[in-house]
Amino acid sequence: MPLSLAVIPWGVLTGALAIEAGFSAFQAQLMSLLVFAGAAQLSAITLIAGGSSFASIFASTVVISSRHLLYSITFRQHVESLPLRLRLLIGFLLTDEMFAVSQAHSNRSGAFSALFAIVSGATFYLFWNIATLLGIIAGEYFSELDSMGLDFAIAATFIAMTFAELRNYPILVAVLLSGLTAVLLQPLLADSYIVIAALVGMTGAYLCPDAQAIAESKVSS
Amino acid sequence: MIWLLLLGMALITFANRYLFFSKMIAYSPGPKFKRFLSYSSYSVLTAIWVPIIFHFDGQSEFQLAGLDYLLAAVLAGLLSFYRVASIIVVLLSTVLFFLIRFYLL
Repeated sequence: MPLSLAVIPWGVLTGALAIEAGFSAFQAQLMSLLVFAGAAQLSAITLIAGGSSFASIFASTVVISSRHLLYSITFRQHVESLPLRLRLLIGFLLTDEMFAVSQAHSNRSGAFSALFAIVSGATFYLFWNIATLLGIIAGEYFSELDSMGLDFAIAATFIAMTFAELRNYPILVAVLLSGLTAVLLQPLLADSYIVIAALVGMTGAYLCPDAQAIAESKVSS
Repeated sequence: MIWLLLLGMALITFANRYLFFSKMIAYSPGPKFKRFLSYSSYSVLTAIWVPIIFHFDGQSEFQLAGLDYLLAAVLAGLLSFYRVASIIVVLLSTVLFFLIRFYLL
């Protein structure tokens, strides 16, 4: 439950910013209903507002949501035996938050529970969409004032999501490299700089000697 | 056209979540590829926010977005680094952004 409440401000922000970026109320709501991914939605809204092509938005969506592959791999062994409709449902509801609470529940109870995953995922889905609706209503009311702060609110959100882990050395490398590459490439490659910069950051972090040592020590211990 | 965008994004995010639940995929990535993937969101989010604050014209000029953006971003960075809750970071830094914008500039 506390995590459900934590998604509310982000849902409100996403709904309000979608309206500022020129989405209709129905489109903004449909985005949360269908896509159901906070970081991917906020990124797409920023890119739309900046006039990026669909191809570049899709490419950055692929990279940004590729972390879900990790969750999908982790849950695979638990859902393999479930019927198709349940696998589809758990797949649709698989988010950062649902993964986190399901893992915690598995650790506590000693076994993965499909019911727990579905109920918690559906709760996040409900809260996310109600919060988006509130944001849409707020966005329709304050259109003039907030359009000036649209890009800053998104920058602040993404700073908050990345800087909390800067003490982790490979993540520091990822942030420095992808930020620098993005600034340098933006004037040259208006459409693909985000994905290229992200891949440079990921590769740099992956090649960090410290990270390899840590990963290997974890494997061997 | 936005409809096409929403549909495409929905397919992409669903595919990334469901991929390894599908019986058709036998491949399982190793720990190295998993580690590579674990840096994806930090890298993409950074590649999106940094150009909002810093611009480079492709020749020689570096431009900052302005004192309002810069100071508020520094505040956001500091608060986040010291693990203040994200939503508080966004609220405080956006308030600072508007204060500078309306009272100093």
